[in-house]
Amino acid sequence: MKNMRSIVGLTAAMLVSGALNAQSTTVLYNERVVELEQTLPDATDLWVKPEDLTRVNDFVLKPEGACLDELCVPVLQDRDSAMFVTRQGQAWFNVTELADKLQQAYVTDYNDGIWSFGSMPVTRQSFLRGGEAPDFELMGRDGELVRLSDFRGKKVLLLTWASW
Amino acid sequence: MPVWQSIYEELKSDNFEIISVAQDTGGEEAAGSYFDDANVTYTAIIDVNHHISSLYNLVNVPSGVWIDEEGKIMRINEGTYAKEHFDGAWGTNDYVPIVRDWVAKGADSEYVWDRSKVRESIVQRTPDAERAQPAFRLGGYYFTNDNDEKAEQYWTMAQELDPTSWNYLRQDLEYEEGGNAGPEWRARREQVESAGGSYYAPLEIENN
Repeated sequence: MKNMRSIVGLTAAMLVSGALNAQSTTVLYNERVVELEQTLPDATDLWVKPEDLTRVNDFVLKPEGACLDELCVPVLQDRDSAMFVTRQGQAWFNVTELADKLQQAYVTDYNDGIWSFGSMPVTRQSFLRGGEAPDFELMGRDGELVRLSDFRGKKVLLLTWASW
Repeated sequence: MPVWQSIYEELKSDNFEIISVAQDTGGEEAAGSYFDDANVTYTAIIDVNHHISSLYNLVNVPSGVWIDEEGKIMRINEGTYAKEHFDGAWGTNDYVPIVRDWVAKGADSEYVWDRSKVRESIVQRTPDAERAQPAFRLGGYYFTNDNDEKAEQYWTMAQELDPTSWNYLRQDLEYEEGGNAGPEWRARREQVESAGGSYYAPLEIENN
């Protein structure tokens, strides 16, 4: 724990001094594998450039905040906060802070710089409460993308199995 | 799988589709031949990240979900088989007739569940089980990139976070000595069943 604190302390120092040894990072979310050339070094959180945010988790940074469809999480952008900082003229957005706010689970391999994100509860309510079938988009064996929503108007029997 | 193909040929004229999704980190190499050997013409997907199980909160295979014309779930989370195998050693002949009834009658089928039954049948996840999803995904990423040590690390983490998932356990055991249906799997299954639980989510044919 003592070590942990000193790392966090060091990170804070780096943020303040604006040391920008931006490092490459891989983000896994649903089916996507996103390679980010630059993230802000931080021992515990994932900071990305605002223009990379949508590739990472579909959110768009707007003046009113980080938005996904109708949902907007307010983000002040004229000053530093837990969600947003500016270092040497470059803005950085804290993806893990947003995930925490949204109760989105994630697992990180810090050594390799890989961040794996789970589902966002906010996108799951129609399934969990309403019994609506979650849409998906997966590559079919014939090389065509299969979207559940393309089958509206048909009954679908969705079956899972495995070779093992 | 050949049985599902014959059922598909029987029912497909009624605006009905089967989407069959292999939960196989081993990908085409592991699962492809099963689809090919059955000459399937329904929609076939090999889902290396178990995305569908993750999305629909399914913990075992085979599992079935009924989705109506408007995208509403009508039944979910059932251990589904097309028929009995080896004189009832596993599988069931009871599922296909209710599928047939639903395809013919739609919402009027007596086998369609009401909204509250659907909701209650969706597996609820603990916060740990939610974290198991990205842990398993991370393990799969390492597996695909030939880092078996890290794959094992995160697959083990996923199993610890969600011990209810047979998918996580057996996908991992597939690549270990003893295999996916070996002593470790048998012991776990017996443990669950002797405690009064069931390995497959039970089929509830009679209702309404």
